[in-house]
Amino acid sequence: MTLWRSLRSIPSWIVPLCAGVVVLLLPVLGLDFSTGRQIQLACILALLVSGLNLSHGYAGELALGQAAMYAAGAYTAGLLSKAGHTDILLQFVLAAAVALVVGLVSGIPGLRLGGWSLAMTSFFLVLLVPDILAVFAEWTGGRNGLSGVMPPTLLGADLAGDAYYWVVAGVTLAWFAIMRNLIVSRHGVAFRVLKKSPVLASSMGISVFRMKLLAYAVGAVPAGLAGALFVNLDLYVSPEAFGFVTAVTVLAASILGGSASVYGALLGAAIMQFGPNQASEFQEYALVFTGVFLIAGGVLLKGGLAGLCRRLVSRLDRAAGVTTAARNVSADVPDIAGATLAIDGVSKTFGGNQALKGVSLAARPGKVTALIGPNGSGKTTLLNMVCGFYRTDSGTITIGDTALQGLPPHRVARAGVARTFQTPNIPEGVTVLEAVSSGRYSGHRASVFSAILRLPGFRRVRTDDLVEAERALALVGMSDLRDAEATSLPLGMRRLLEVARALAARPGVLLLDEVASGLDEDEVERLAGLVRRIREAGGTIVLVEHNFRLVLDLADEIVVLAHGSVIATGPPEVIERNPRVLSEYLGIDGESAEGRAKVAELTGGGEITGTGESA
Amino acid sequence: MTLIWGGLALGAVYALVAIGYNIVFISSKTFNFAQAQLMMVGTFVAYTGLVTLRLPVFVVALMAVAAVFLVAAIEERVAIRPVKEPEAVLVTTLGASMLLDGVTQLIWGPQPLTVPFFGSDDVMSLFGGQVYPVEIALILLTVVIVVALSLLARRTLLGLALLGMAEDREAAMLRGVNVRRLAFGAFAFTGALAGLLGLFVGPKTFAVATLGASLALKGFVVVAIGGFGSIPGTLVGGVIVGLVEALAARYLGSEYANISVFAVLVVILMARPSGLFVRTQERTV
Amino acid sequence: MMSEENGTPLLRVRNLGTGYGDLRVVWDVSLDVRPGRLTVLLGRNGAGKTTTLRAVSGLNKAVAGTVELDGRDVTRLAPHQRVRLGMAYVQEGKRVFHRQTVEQNLLLGGYTLKMRRAALREEIQRIYELFPVLGEKRGLLAGSMSGGQQQMLAIGQALMARPKLLLLDEPSGGLAPAIVSEVMERIGQLKETGLGILLVEQAVEASVRVADQVAVIDMGRVVVSASADEVDDLGVLRDAYFGRGGREAASG
Repeated sequence: MTLWRSLRSIPSWIVPLCAGVVVLLLPVLGLDFSTGRQIQLACILALLVSGLNLSHGYAGELALGQAAMYAAGAYTAGLLSKAGHTDILLQFVLAAAVALVVGLVSGIPGLRLGGWSLAMTSFFLVLLVPDILAVFAEWTGGRNGLSGVMPPTLLGADLAGDAYYWVVAGVTLAWFAIMRNLIVSRHGVAFRVLKKSPVLASSMGISVFRMKLLAYAVGAVPAGLAGALFVNLDLYVSPEAFGFVTAVTVLAASILGGSASVYGALLGAAIMQFGPNQASEFQEYALVFTGVFLIAGGVLLKGGLAGLCRRLVSRLDRAAGVTTAARNVSADVPDIAGATLAIDGVSKTFGGNQALKGVSLAARPGKVTALIGPNGSGKTTLLNMVCGFYRTDSGTITIGDTALQGLPPHRVARAGVARTFQTPNIPEGVTVLEAVSSGRYSGHRASVFSAILRLPGFRRVRTDDLVEAERALALVGMSDLRDAEATSLPLGMRRLLEVARALAARPGVLLLDEVASGLDEDEVERLAGLVRRIREAGGTIVLVEHNFRLVLDLADEIVVLAHGSVIATGPPEVIERNPRVLSEYLGIDGESAEGRAKVAELTGGGEITGTGESA
Repeated sequence: MTLIWGGLALGAVYALVAIGYNIVFISSKTFNFAQAQLMMVGTFVAYTGLVTLRLPVFVVALMAVAAVFLVAAIEERVAIRPVKEPEAVLVTTLGASMLLDGVTQLIWGPQPLTVPFFGSDDVMSLFGGQVYPVEIALILLTVVIVVALSLLARRTLLGLALLGMAEDREAAMLRGVNVRRLAFGAFAFTGALAGLLGLFVGPKTFAVATLGASLALKGFVVVAIGGFGSIPGTLVGGVIVGLVEALAARYLGSEYANISVFAVLVVILMARPSGLFVRTQERTV
Repeated sequence: MMSEENGTPLLRVRNLGTGYGDLRVVWDVSLDVRPGRLTVLLGRNGAGKTTTLRAVSGLNKAVAGTVELDGRDVTRLAPHQRVRLGMAYVQEGKRVFHRQTVEQNLLLGGYTLKMRRAALREEIQRIYELFPVLGEKRGLLAGSMSGGQQQMLAIGQALMARPKLLLLDEPSGGLAPAIVSEVMERIGQLKETGLGILLVEQAVEASVRVADQVAVIDMGRVVVSASADEVDDLGVLRDAYFGRGGREAASG
C-alpha cells in the first residue's frame, strides 16, 4: 500500500509516456517483422478509435464515419505519393486536411439528427466508400485498388523498416499527447457537458453548433493521419480496407477500451488487433469472434477496460488512504456585480393555449425575487423564456441594458444569466472541481490550440479557473469534495454543486429552479445561508420554488403566477395574507359569496380586491 | 416496366426488414441491428429444408419460423435485455448480427446458395414488363403484411396494448399490461416473421452470408424515410428506396445506386428529421 | 392518528418512503382507505402527493414501508400485477391514449379481464351508462376531446378493470370550476358502489366535501390525518399548507 501511495504521487501522464517509450524502443531490443507489423497496425487502429472516442465518447455524437475519413486520408496520401510527393510530413498535413473536410461533411446530418439516425447515416457513408472510389476509378483505381505508391521519405531521407516503425509509433504517441492535453482541459469538460445535455451546454454559454463541429473536425484528424500511415505501410490500398468490417472493428475497439477515455483507444485497438484480427487468418472465425466481443463488451463492460482500470485505481486509493489535501481557501463571497433582470409584458401561446399573459416583473441586485404559483401556472415557461429556449410572442426581457428576447440560449448565458436545474444536470466523468470551473467556459476563453500546446495563455486561464472554482466550492462548503467524481455525489450535494457552478460564472442574474426540492432540513438550511450570502454580496437572485416556508423566509419580493398571469407581487408579509393567493393555493372559489366569506375568515377579515395586486 | 418491377420487389424486401425494425421499435424503443440477419438465417433454413432435405414447403415454413423465432428469443435475452443504455444496444445487436453472419458462414459457407421459389420460376409478362412470380409474391406479401399488421394493431386487444405501450409505457402498465413480456413477445414475433419471409426473400436475393449486412442499412433507410414506428411508412419508404436504387443503377451506373439512395435519405431527413409519416415533436426543455 | 373503524382497510399504507433514484421525496406516509370510503390526500405542490400514489401503484419503488391491498402485501409487486389484484390508478394530466378512439381506450382498460369481445362490450356499456358523453363520442380519437371528457374517459378506462380501489390524481386539474364540481359529484357516486378511493387534490374545498378521511402531507410526511368532519375548519389546512403549524393566529 505504501508502494501504491508512492506510485500515485507521480503525475498520471508518466505511465502512458513510459509505455510509449518502451514501444518505441522495441525494434532496438529485437522485434520480428510480423509482430512489428501488428504493432504498427494496432497503432493505426488506435488513431482511428481515438477519433471516435472524441466525437462519441466525449461529445456524445455517435458518428461512425471514421472509416470514410480513414479512406480519405489514405487515398490523399497515396495519390500524393504517386504524384511524386513522397515526403511523409506533407502527406500528413494534406491527409488530415482532407479527412477533416470529410468529417465535417459527414457530421452535417448530426447537426439535425441524433442517436440512431446519425449513427446509421454515418455508417451508410462508410458503405459508400467503394462506390465513390469507383466513380473516380480513373485516379483511384476503383475496385482494383491504388498501386504504384512510392516509398515514403522524411525530409529527403528514405523511411524503411525500423525507421517507418518509429514514424508510426511516434505519430501515435504524439497524437495521444495531443488528445490527452485536449481532454484534460476546459474543452474536454465542455465536450462532456455537451454529451450530458445540449440544453445544459447552451445554458452555460457553450454553442452547441460550434462544439459539435469542433468534435467532428478534431476527431477526423487522427483518421486522416492513420490513412496516410496505412497507405505507406503496404504501398498499396484498396477499397476493401475501409468497409463494414473496419467500421465495426473501430466501434468494437472503442467500446471495449472504454469510449470515454483517452488511452482506452490503445487498449481496445490492441485487443482487436491481436485478438479477432489475428483470427482473420482463419477468416471464417473472425466474424464470430468480433460478434461475441461486441455482445460481451456491451453487456459486461460498462465504461470498457478503461472504466475497469479507473474503478480498480479508486478502490486501491481507498484501501491505501490516498487523499488529496484540501487547500485552505477563503470562503468570502467576492462582490458580485448583479444586474437587473426586467421582464415586461411577456406573452406566449403554445398552439391555442396561452401559457403567459403579459407577465412583468423585475429582479434587482442585492435582492431575492421569488417566483411561485400552482402547477401549470407558467413558471417553467417563463424561466425557459428568460433562458432563450422559447421565443416571446410579445414583450421584452432585459438584463442591464441588454435585450435578451430573441437571443439563442448560449448568448443569453453569455449575457450573464446562470441557472440551476430542477434535476441536477452534471456531466459524467469529471471531478467536482472541473464541473464547477466549467461554469467559466464561455466567459473566459482559451483556444483549443493553446490548450493542446499548454501555452501561457491557457495556463493563465486555467489558474484563474481553479482559483475561482475553489472559491465557489468553499462558498457552498464543499472544498473537501473537490476531487470526488461529480455525478457520484448525493442529491443535495449535486444541487449545491450546480449553485457553485453558476456562481463561478460570476453571473449578473442567478436563476435557482426548485433548488430546495428533495433536500433534507439541514441541506435546506445550508442553502438558505448561501442564498443570503450571495444576496449580501450584491447578486441578483431569482428563486423558483415550491417550498413556501423557504420562500417566505428568503424572499425580498414574491411574484405569484396563476394561469399565466401575475396575480400578486409584494413582500412576504403581504403575499401570505393575499386572498387571491390563498384561494389559488387552497382551491377555494373566490368568486362565490360563500368562498369569499371563507377567505375573509382565513385572512382575518381582509377583502378580496379586484386584481389582488397589493404591491 | 421490367425495371420498375425489379425496383418494387427490391423495395419490398427492404420494407420487410423495415417492418421488423419498426415492430421492435414500437414495442421497446430499441433498434435491432440484427433484424436483417434474422431474415438471412430464414433464407438459409429455407435452402436446407427445400434443397438439402427436400421437405414439403409448409414443413420448411414451420421449420424456418421455429428456428428464427428461437434465434430472436435468444438474442433478446442475451444481447438486449441485460443492456441498459440504448447506445450499448446498438453495439450488442451489431455484435449479434456479426455473430449470425459468422455462424451462417461456418455452417453454409460463403458461396451464395440458390433458393428455389415454391411457386414457379418462369418469367411472366405483366403490364409490359418482365417479372418473376417471386417478385410479384414479395410485393403482394409486403402489402398484405402492412395491411394486416395495421388492422391487427387497431382491432385486437393485444395490438391496442402494443400501441398503447408505444404511446405511453407507464399508462399501459397501469392498465395491467405486462410491458416487458409484451416487448419480448413482439421481438420474438419479428423473428418468426423473418423466418417465414426467408422462403420468399431467398429466391430473390440468394441465401448468402453477406445478405444481412446489405439489407440492414437499406432497411434502416426505409424506416428513416417512412418514419420511426410507422408501419404504413415502410411501404412508402420501400417503394422510394427500391425505385431510386433500380433507376440510378440503370441510368447512372451501378456505382451510383447507393450514392443516390444516400442523397435521397439525407434530403428527406434534413427536411423531416423523423421521417415522412411521423410528426416532429416540439422541443421540450 | 388513524381514526378507528371496523373491518380491515382496503388499502393500508405504512411508513412509506419513496422517490426517484436517490431523490427522496416521500419520507414517512401512512394512510388507510376503506371500502366504499374516500380518503383525500392534500398538500402543496411538491409535497409528495403524486409520488405517494406512484409508489402505491408500483410505478416507483418503495424504499421503506409497506403497501397492503385487501390484506395482501403488494409492496414488491409490479404495477400490472397490482392492477390484476384490483387496484386502478388514474394519473394526473388526463393520461388517456390520445391516438386511440374512446372505445379503443375503454377496450384496453379491460385488458386484464381476459374476456371475449362481446362480454367486453357489455362492460363498456356499463361505463357509457355512467358517463353518457363517452357513449356519444365513442368513435372519436381521445386526443380530440375536451379536458373534462378526457378526464371521464380516464376514469372510465380505469373502472373497466373492475377495481376494488381507485387512485385518483388531481381529477380537477386544469378544469373549469363548473366541471370540477361535476367530476367530484361523479366521484361521490362511485364510492357508493363499494369502491374505495384515494384522491389527491388541489381543489381543497370541493374534495373535502366528498371525503370521509383527510390526510395532509408536507415535505413528504403526513402532518394532518383526521376524519373529514374534524377538518371542517379550513384554517387547520391552511396552517398545514403554509407551514406555520398554528404558531401564529390569523389576524388583521
